Amino acid sequence: MDEKTLDDVISRYDSPSGRLLGILGEIQNREGYVPRDALEMLSAKLDVRLSQLYGLVTFYSFFSLKPVGDHVITVCMGTACHVRGAVEVLAALEQLLGIEDEATQDGKFSVTTEDNRFTLEIARCFGACSMAPVVEIDGNLYGYVTPETLPGILGNYGWRES
Amino acid sequence: MTHEEIGLSGTPKKSVTIVIDGRKCRADEGEIVLSAALREGAAIPHLCYEASLDPYGACRLCMVEVCHNGKTSMVTACTLHATEGLEIRTDTPEIVKYRNVLFELYLAEAPKSDVIKEMAARYGVTRTRFLKKIDTDDPLGGSCVLCGLCVRVCNEIMGAGAIGFVNRGPYTVVGTPFFEANTDCIGCGACANVCPTHAIRIEDRDGERVMHSWGGGRVRLAQCGVCGKYYAPGALTAATLARLLPPLRDDLAGLCPACRAKRIADEEIRVNMRGGADHHVRPRRS
Amino acid sequence: MTGAAEADLPAREAAGLRKLKPDRPRIAVGLATCGAAMGGDRVYRRFQEIIGAGGDDIMLTKTGCIGYCREEPQVNITIPGRPLVILHRVDADDVEEIVTAVRAGEVPYEMALCRVPSWDHVTGTTVEYGGGFDRIPLYQDVRFFSHQKKVVLRNAGFINPEDIDEYIAVGGYAAAKTALTEMEPDAVVAEVERSGLRGRGGAGFPTGLKWRITRKAPGDEKYIICNADEGDPGAYMNRNEMESDPHMLIEGMIIGAYAIGAREGLIYLRAEYPLAIRRLELAIAQARTCGLLGERIFGTGFDFEIRIVTGAGAFVCGESTALIASIEGRTGRPHPRPPRLTDIGGGLWKKPTDLNNVETWCNVPVIIQNGGDWYARIGTEKNTGTKVFSLVGKVDRVGLVEVPLGTSLNTIVFDIGNGGSQGKKVKAVQTGGPSGGCIPVRLFDTPVDYENLNRVGSIMGSGGIVVMDEETNMVDIARYFVNFATGESCGKCVPCREGLKHTLLLLNKIMAGKGTEKDLDTLGLLADTIQKTSLCGLGQLAPNPVLTTLAYFREEYGALVKK
Repeated sequence: MDEKTLDDVISRYDSPSGRLLGILGEIQNREGYVPRDALEMLSAKLDVRLSQLYGLVTFYSFFSLKPVGDHVITVCMGTACHVRGAVEVLAALEQLLGIEDEATQDGKFSVTTEDNRFTLEIARCFGACSMAPVVEIDGNLYGYVTPETLPGILGNYGWRES
Repeated sequence: MTHEEIGLSGTPKKSVTIVIDGRKCRADEGEIVLSAALREGAAIPHLCYEASLDPYGACRLCMVEVCHNGKTSMVTACTLHATEGLEIRTDTPEIVKYRNVLFELYLAEAPKSDVIKEMAARYGVTRTRFLKKIDTDDPLGGSCVLCGLCVRVCNEIMGAGAIGFVNRGPYTVVGTPFFEANTDCIGCGACANVCPTHAIRIEDRDGERVMHSWGGGRVRLAQCGVCGKYYAPGALTAATLARLLPPLRDDLAGLCPACRAKRIADEEIRVNMRGGADHHVRPRRS
Repeated sequence: MTGAAEADLPAREAAGLRKLKPDRPRIAVGLATCGAAMGGDRVYRRFQEIIGAGGDDIMLTKTGCIGYCREEPQVNITIPGRPLVILHRVDADDVEEIVTAVRAGEVPYEMALCRVPSWDHVTGTTVEYGGGFDRIPLYQDVRFFSHQKKVVLRNAGFINPEDIDEYIAVGGYAAAKTALTEMEPDAVVAEVERSGLRGRGGAGFPTGLKWRITRKAPGDEKYIICNADEGDPGAYMNRNEMESDPHMLIEGMIIGAYAIGAREGLIYLRAEYPLAIRRLELAIAQARTCGLLGERIFGTGFDFEIRIVTGAGAFVCGESTALIASIEGRTGRPHPRPPRLTDIGGGLWKKPTDLNNVETWCNVPVIIQNGGDWYARIGTEKNTGTKVFSLVGKVDRVGLVEVPLGTSLNTIVFDIGNGGSQGKKVKAVQTGGPSGGCIPVRLFDTPVDYENLNRVGSIMGSGGIVVMDEETNMVDIARYFVNFATGESCGKCVPCREGLKHTLLLLNKIMAGKGTEKDLDTLGLLADTIQKTSLCGLGQLAPNPVLTTLAYFREEYGALVKK
């Protein structure tokens, strides 16, 4: 992220309330993750310790320090989704994308395929419980998902069975 | 409890009587009960309490039973303020039961810490039912219990903000950003001093202080202009000297405390022998 | 900023009514998050194409969600002089047929869910649509609706949430005007106290009392905050309230700010709700343009602004001290209370702060409009008013349900929800999210209120009711919630951070068939310890799913452990 873009983002926050999370959230939304250089620039510009920013980014699950793939697939792990098969949906996605469960050091579930096309993540609840189980891809919600309907959905994002 | 009651309004503190395990003791009104109880010799274990910092309430070991209007409840003594007639018990069967489980959790979390083992053993807990955390790469040597004292001292007292909590929940650790050397660190070592489990490794060698637990950061030590000994981190001495009023005489600023004292003493003796008086802080060019 | 023009409510009301009951047919597509995702977006675009091609003889607009989520996407048809008709399960391919029928003064009967000849918006406004279409069932005869009482959701699915005129047309902002221009702040607080309203975030603290404490706290600078960080998985009442009727929340906050003496309000809204954020931003801008926010509101000396703060994914930020830390740019790690938020030194930027849940604020306008006594007559003596629940999981009629407090679980799950989905037998419900418990079907005569849910080991929480059927393994459910709570623990205190982790490890072991009876004892002791010794509510309540399943479904644990 270049300096001017960051300055623009910062300038939109005129109140201290919600400022840091708001700015970090915009960086996350723009870049798909929070790049280290953006974090360091922000620290210098706002005179906030880097350790504080690093603490925020690693505490809140919305932020990621790792770049993501072209398409981000998020499986909702809310209660309604859980009782209606979210675990099976997640397993099917891992299988379709050729992703294996990795041991995580930070407690965040985010795995990217080797070709960098898809990133698989989980969410605690989208609040779209009526159409459980739910999967979100690049901001689009899909309801009543089953392992059988996944290939068709993924097909919209350039996925082909290999 | 209002702030008036806990004596934050600036009025002189009243003395009150509190009852610890049936024994009457004096305490300042509003005083932290843990502090009063420790002064009275009560055996209350604790890991995250430090008098110079705000109450934190994280280690949960100092939970005591409070009797209020005939009803009892369990609270942490480090967040409880003394009021007239306050009655606490530190060893009810309930307190012991829960405290023992907490000790077991600590034994599993910091399996390498002798401090924890000894503390738990003092309260009769020598083994844990829970799976021990094994992390061979842990820069804190499997001894950190996340009491937060190092983080709070670094941020709230030293103002350096070099370390902080990283991640959350069971993944929480203390570290520098990206677990690398952090230039915000002034090498004061307060973190290691305050750590109850001696988990933080710092080493002085070759004119540098090496922060082994904090990404291997190195802080140059100031060298004494007389004896040549490395005596304190340069950044820390510079920051401290900058705050002194009146300022320290230039030729004393670069000396270690021992040589500084020696030089002042030598001068005093010389001046006294000449029959005059001088003051070592007055700026004087030699 | 210069003071905006004084709000011209009558003009806006008239304009809004012309939009709700235009002199030509009106088609409103239900476009809350679920409706849009289930195809409502495509339906709306198809309507745009077809109607656009045929001229402007039909008014096309959006509406929120009426709560019958199973029947999405829904489309409201209003033909002048005829009842409003709700079409359900509409597909983009149906649109052409619908438009053809509407142009002929008809509706496609086979798509109709129900008709609404007139709708009482509760705030003194009843919109009369008209008669006819007698073959279509009446709204109140649809079993999903017939046991409900819409107070908070009175406008949801009827008005366009992106148009302030329609909100004003159904009695909106009249309560704010009454409060600001005719009532003393103390009288407003007294009215809320008289209503008996209790916090809808789950703890049930009397709202009026909290307002009075904050009002009395010393200092000129105070804040009010709306907790819109709806964190419980399986709960989405607040999302719909904000997406379907955002002005109701803003009006509630204006009244609260006036009563408490705050000039700034914040809405702490979770990032997972982008549509709610957009609609609230729009609503705030509209309210500002109309002079309902800003300086000298209604020509009085009262100034008030609302700002949205976006959360970043941390369940613990529902805890009040963690929420404050989050707004101030720190990690959401709770600190011991006192000081409380309402105390000086305890709130946002150390100022006295009143924090209420979305639904609590949403109840305020109707209380001021109809009076606290009117409100107190709904529900039971100590649990007044209605509560919105999200009825989800393995239940037949999934959706948002608003009922008077004290309604039994039987009514909610069987009369409204029609029991298990696909004819399966219901085994239990889980209320209150990760902090709540599982209630077995034999206790379904329990009235749903704060005290009775506590009595059976659960909590009200924010209103999620997740139904489990005979195929659901209750040990797996306990493990699910413990896994959730472990991941959301802030990590500050040891019972929550380490205790929950080991609870999860034990449950994994038991689920894998490797557990022993002794492990069950350890599990119980650990759960008890976490409950009694944790620093904040997250930890104290996190063992509830374990404790309730151990109490009510011990045999399921027993079947899994080695003998």
